[in-house]
Amino acid sequence: MSSSLLLQQVLNGLAIGSVYAIFALGYTLIFSILRIINFTHGAIFTLGAYATYALTGARFGFNGLLANAALPLHLPFVLALIGGALFAAVSGVIVERLAFRPLRTRGSDPLLTLVSSLGVAVALVNVIQYLFGAEAYSYPADPFGQLPSAMNFGTSTEPVLVRTVQVIIFGVSMVVLALLTVLMNATRTGKALRAVAEDTVTASLLGINTDRLILLTFVISGFLGGVSGTLIGLSVGIAGPYFGIAFGLKGLAVIVLGGLGDIPGAVVGGLLIGLAESFVPAQYIAYREAVPFALLFVVLLLRPQGLLGRAVVQKV
Amino acid sequence: MSRRLASPVTIVSLIAVLCGALVGHAADPIPIGVSVAQTGPVALAGQEQVLGAQIAEEYFNKRGGVNGRPFKLIFQDAGSDEATAINAYQNQINVAKVVAIIGPSLSQQMFAAGPFAVRAKLPVLGISTTAKGIPQVGEFVSRVSAPVAIVAPNAIKAAMDINKNIKRVVVLYAQNDAFSKSETETFQQAVKDLHLELVTVQTFQTTDTDFTAQVTNTLNAKPDLVIISGLQVDGANLVKQLRELAYKGLIVGGNGLNTTNIIPICKALCDGILVAQAYSPEYKSKINDDFKGIYKDRQKKDPPQFSAQAFTGVQVFVEALGALDKKSPIAKMDLAALRVELNKQLIAGTYDTPLGEISFKASPGGEIVQKQSYVAQIKMDPGGTSGKWVYVK
Amino acid sequence: MPAFLAAYDFLLVSMVLAAVLALSLYLPLMAGQLSLASPGFYALGGYIAAIISTKVFPPAAGLYPVPLVLLEMAVAAVASGVLGVIVGVPALRLRGIFLALATIAFVEILRVISLNLDVTGGAIGIFGVPQPFASQIHYMSLAIPLLVLCMLFAARLERSRTGRALVALREDELAADAMGVNPTRYKVLAFTVGAMIAGVVGALSAHFINTWNSRQGTFDTGVSLMAFVLIGGSRTFVGPVVGGLVLTALPEALRGIADVGGLPGWLAQFLRDGRLIIFGVMIALGTVFFPHGLITPALLERLGRGRRHRVEAA
Repeated sequence: MSSSLLLQQVLNGLAIGSVYAIFALGYTLIFSILRIINFTHGAIFTLGAYATYALTGARFGFNGLLANAALPLHLPFVLALIGGALFAAVSGVIVERLAFRPLRTRGSDPLLTLVSSLGVAVALVNVIQYLFGAEAYSYPADPFGQLPSAMNFGTSTEPVLVRTVQVIIFGVSMVVLALLTVLMNATRTGKALRAVAEDTVTASLLGINTDRLILLTFVISGFLGGVSGTLIGLSVGIAGPYFGIAFGLKGLAVIVLGGLGDIPGAVVGGLLIGLAESFVPAQYIAYREAVPFALLFVVLLLRPQGLLGRAVVQKV
Repeated sequence: MSRRLASPVTIVSLIAVLCGALVGHAADPIPIGVSVAQTGPVALAGQEQVLGAQIAEEYFNKRGGVNGRPFKLIFQDAGSDEATAINAYQNQINVAKVVAIIGPSLSQQMFAAGPFAVRAKLPVLGISTTAKGIPQVGEFVSRVSAPVAIVAPNAIKAAMDINKNIKRVVVLYAQNDAFSKSETETFQQAVKDLHLELVTVQTFQTTDTDFTAQVTNTLNAKPDLVIISGLQVDGANLVKQLRELAYKGLIVGGNGLNTTNIIPICKALCDGILVAQAYSPEYKSKINDDFKGIYKDRQKKDPPQFSAQAFTGVQVFVEALGALDKKSPIAKMDLAALRVELNKQLIAGTYDTPLGEISFKASPGGEIVQKQSYVAQIKMDPGGTSGKWVYVK
Repeated sequence: MPAFLAAYDFLLVSMVLAAVLALSLYLPLMAGQLSLASPGFYALGGYIAAIISTKVFPPAAGLYPVPLVLLEMAVAAVASGVLGVIVGVPALRLRGIFLALATIAFVEILRVISLNLDVTGGAIGIFGVPQPFASQIHYMSLAIPLLVLCMLFAARLERSRTGRALVALREDELAADAMGVNPTRYKVLAFTVGAMIAGVVGALSAHFINTWNSRQGTFDTGVSLMAFVLIGGSRTFVGPVVGGLVLTALPEALRGIADVGGLPGWLAQFLRDGRLIIFGVMIALGTVFFPHGLITPALLERLGRGRRHRVEAA
């Protein structure tokens, strides 16, 4: 294998993996605090992407209830991105109030939260289709239009190209990882969050407002979902109402591989799966889809707590 | 909760069914079922099909329906899975008492639901089911969606006309999609028949969005031509990523890329794709001009193939009903006889549709015979927001 | 009634099969094991039946013999049982969400394999699976006994020593281990029986839906089964059965309501187009209002007492 091909495959792996990582960061955050899997994350991600689209002033198609609707404003892309992410954060809060908090206060089976979040996800996806139709959308003005569509990491004779938008996604996922790490480890809020994650009851006995912190977790997770939805939408288009749901299954593999609830673990897991997919030899590409899951299966058998996870006795 | 609701529902629907059985007045609209994917991951196709069918309903009713008697389309969502398609079929056949059904959207769904139509002896028409074996499901199962057998070699030949030096070919297809799987077999055979070298075959999933690995494998094979069989969003993303990662050669896209829905994804990079078409908006005929005009008025773009095929599905049933009615008045037939006679008439007829002139084979019964098939090249506007399918072959 | 049966025969049998499948997920859950492997065995069973009935036995005119369907179901049970042990022994060292993920990975790997093998027909799958019955409703003659057998098995199990061992494992594995319950043995047992049930349902389903392909028995199926069990109630075998019946019927019931005359046009339209919105909301509300599922052991006891009272009064 030539060195330029090797470099190409490594960079491909990081590019694929950073998409999984950025999706998984918001996903894993909820698990790290609440120990539940939030199936609505994919739908919130889609909502964020649609909200950004609307905020840029772009028009919707002719097939939903809001046929041909457009907002009377034309925000620049970065502002629309922030607005879309805020919308996703608010959606996250609403979902927490409606589907998670009632169950938590009744102390019901944690598995049941999985089912209620599933119900909300089904409803949200179909609401999106009902309002905007099933078609794909893309952001009207390309905010990186001035940049070349791919960057060359090789030489001019042996080019090693990576799509610029994927380099940006990689950068953003690293920044988000750094910010989250600082938040969790170096702030009072982070300490309180970790206390809630450790034991909700004890945390509230210590005078920590657990409900407020859980709400904050959903705000951050929703915001990250919105940011990642928009960025991935920029890369591959907003592929209709099932856009985010399509990442759900692999996202689950990513956060478990890295160690459930471990924030750097989500990034490590995402990048590893990306690399594994990238290094599948061309003649075995037909089995590529199984690779992340085979990897997951083997890792779980060898290290049941995931790569970076701590060994804990699971309560189910 | 649903069971409590179910029993009154059942009673009321039973009454409706009993009343329905007595209805036979000549002025009542004739019910024709449309069951396509209105929900689920395939809804993008289903949505286009609903549009095409609705246009046909208005268009033909304005022109007198079935010899002066109107017809009515009954929409029952077939979802994107097999069980929902069967439930929709059973509802159409037994509750709505339709004379015929159009749909479902996927070949796999037709393999599941088709036998129900065979048993109920009612004609059904696939409008986007291109997999091998659909007409063989049984008598009463037909389709207006042509497999690409003829178009595929033509598309490759068109590419060879543009670039005389084509030797090395890479084929990519969506392995989890029946449509793409059937189509790629035709393409791969055509590549061999034309004495081109098939350097590698790469697969992906219709749910994939990142094709970096497949693109790298493709570029390493140094192809002169890339052939893609996929659906709208995945196919368009693959084209986009091939171009962004500096693939300069020609691209042939299968039937799944024959839709303006790829434009939001690959934008200016869609330019130059050769598309194998079972329908061309550029086809000149009275009926296609009319259809295209109405569609454009509503959706502000050229009609996609799925809409045209759905329109054709409705047209074929309406014209067959009209022809049958002239032979023996359908108002006098009971439903069971009408369904059987309609199927015979359907297969016997020839139809001038937006797809061109079509008819059906007697064996395997119900396979489409389509005169026109097209190869077009996409020409994008400089802004990359709209494009034209320019007829090549 | 005949008109109702004609319209809903497929749905009614689907409901029963869903209830049996839900039981296949419930059995490991009795021992506290959240396994989403059932769809994998269901897919395997379906392929076994589809391959045997279309490739091993040549197509013949008339109905496909029912004994051959039973044979396929038996083969599916054995194959699923063997694969269940092979997968279960290593996987069942995992717990909670980790086991769930490992089993999801198993299902996904099976799906990719079936997409790539020639014998399974790739994305197109296997079609023209022959029919053993003239009418769909006759599938009940196999589905109902299957459901009854599985329910009897679950009921006996819940009262038996093994069942108590499983429940002990669910409540506290360490304590159960200390009390001499061999966790691995009982967990693998519950998992394997669940796998066999799923395989048998798959074999019957391949005939029932006329075709089989890689879209059957996927992660989505697993998620639905989990909803059946948890909404129905996970502390008694009646729960998953009720959950499977009700949740399978729900989307079609909404379709039925939309067809009833007399509703305002917009409402009928919403019931049809927004059917899945309502379905999703009802699932979420179901978990909020029935945090222990629709059916709980306490509810069953109350119902049982009520009946006894009535009997005594009479």
